[in-house]
Amino acid sequence: MNKFLNDPAHLVPELLEGFALAHAGTVRLTGSRLVTRARGKPADKVALVTLGGSGHEPALSGYVGEGMLDVSVPGEIFAAPGPPRVLEALRLANRPAGVLLVVLNHEGDVLSSNVALELAQKEGLKVRSVLTREDISAGTRADPAERRGLVGCLLVFKMAGAAAEAGRSLEQCLEVAEGVERNMATLAVAVSPATHPATGQPISTLAAGEMVIGMGQHGEAGGGSRRLLSADETADIMVEALVQDLGLASGEEALALVNGAGATTLMEQYIVLRRVRRSLEERGIRLARALAGSFLTVQEMGGFQLCLCRMNRERLALWDAPCHTPALSIR
Amino acid sequence: MPRAIGREDLERMLRSAARQVLEGRAELSRLDSFGGDGDHGTTMARAMQSVLAALDAAPAAGVNDLLRSAGWAIMGCDGGAAGPLFGSFFLACAEGAAGETLDAAALARACEAGLAGVKKNTRARLGDKTLLDALEPAVSALRAAADSGTEVLAALERAAGAAAEGARASARLRARFGRAKNLGERSVGQPDPGAASVALIFRGFLLGGQSDG
Repeated sequence: MNKFLNDPAHLVPELLEGFALAHAGTVRLTGSRLVTRARGKPADKVALVTLGGSGHEPALSGYVGEGMLDVSVPGEIFAAPGPPRVLEALRLANRPAGVLLVVLNHEGDVLSSNVALELAQKEGLKVRSVLTREDISAGTRADPAERRGLVGCLLVFKMAGAAAEAGRSLEQCLEVAEGVERNMATLAVAVSPATHPATGQPISTLAAGEMVIGMGQHGEAGGGSRRLLSADETADIMVEALVQDLGLASGEEALALVNGAGATTLMEQYIVLRRVRRSLEERGIRLARALAGSFLTVQEMGGFQLCLCRMNRERLALWDAPCHTPALSIR
Repeated sequence: MPRAIGREDLERMLRSAARQVLEGRAELSRLDSFGGDGDHGTTMARAMQSVLAALDAAPAAGVNDLLRSAGWAIMGCDGGAAGPLFGSFFLACAEGAAGETLDAAALARACEAGLAGVKKNTRARLGDKTLLDALEPAVSALRAAADSGTEVLAALERAAGAAAEGARASARLRARFGRAKNLGERSVGQPDPGAASVALIFRGFLLGGQSDG
């Protein structure tokens, strides 16, 4: 394994120590390895909390900061944090305005959240939760339990975060979050595997010259592998599937997010993004907002996730509201 | 070993279960590499180290305190799905463990409560190639042994056998839960790592119960 590491058992505390140093003006570590804003926001505004395994930097703690998250609970490498730390985060964030917990649909995250939410309710904390499950490679709209939460969580952090910052109520923030969640869809493609930094083993197998559309966030084997296609051909296949899933029609507008998995270069991401716009325009769909970058990675996995979100006037305004976090700033 | 499990016996059993898992960690990770991200052994080892640390830190008053402390330790280890699932087994066992000692019937009752606790937290059921494919046969074997008047150590032996057999048989199943479900038919052929962990834990219980401390 060609990685600069020390004792694998100390991976998460070491990466968090560096993360807090690199973004000292924006975030800080507190309690049992919770990431919070360096300057908290007033208690009359809803707080946003999320949780998830580590090894996906800059996600998820990279979205803690003004306009997005208030607290994140980083777990172990690719493993959700346990319920006790999620409960600790909910207590820390608890306030009269309430707390919105954003959970990505992965078994560990859901289990930990459910246990923590049950305990939080017993303690009288004011908490609501939203589950993101926008991966269209498994399951259908009819059976969303099978759909995983991928990079789309970042759109929920951004738009629900803007609603919270604007002083909207917990119910209204939840409504925004659920609206974004219902109107987004993501598909992932992988071309080369990632190495699990704790075990040193590859977390999937992919032969040279092959790609897998539908591979999960942890390199879980997904749909069948196929011959590697060009950027344009791949983008077209993915746009078609996402537009179908969302039922995007001519005359509508969408946000497109190209998320590099780790090894896929920004160069490739830009090439893909340009084709995404063309592919959408051929269908009469306007690309209202676009971004490319490595927002949620899987170590050095090669590939990307494409997320589309149906936009309307309200969501555009929430998207354009300012935010300042380690991994995303909008001015 | 007396006819019923006391506090010291249970602590020995928990430590022995932890040792089994720690020794089996490489194999558990290998099994997980077929459908998951290959870290089940790392996760379970971390969970069991938390249990050992909790046992070292605070002497539990009774059998249910011991089980509760083990459950919380596992829950708190940041173990993905495995943490809450294995943690809820021990926590629910604690709720079901009445009295100072556990004879075969009381142990069966506690483990049945534990199984129900796990099932409350997952939609997976027997045959879905998860930890339940070892846990459910183990608990059923314990119940059957208790109902036929078997003493606790022999009951535990049958439970450990059933867990091992369940884990082995899970190789034939097609994963319908967890990350491995994405493999579909290709998941057939390897035992489920969660089921393998259950088998190690019950084997540890048996070995810990058989030794006199």
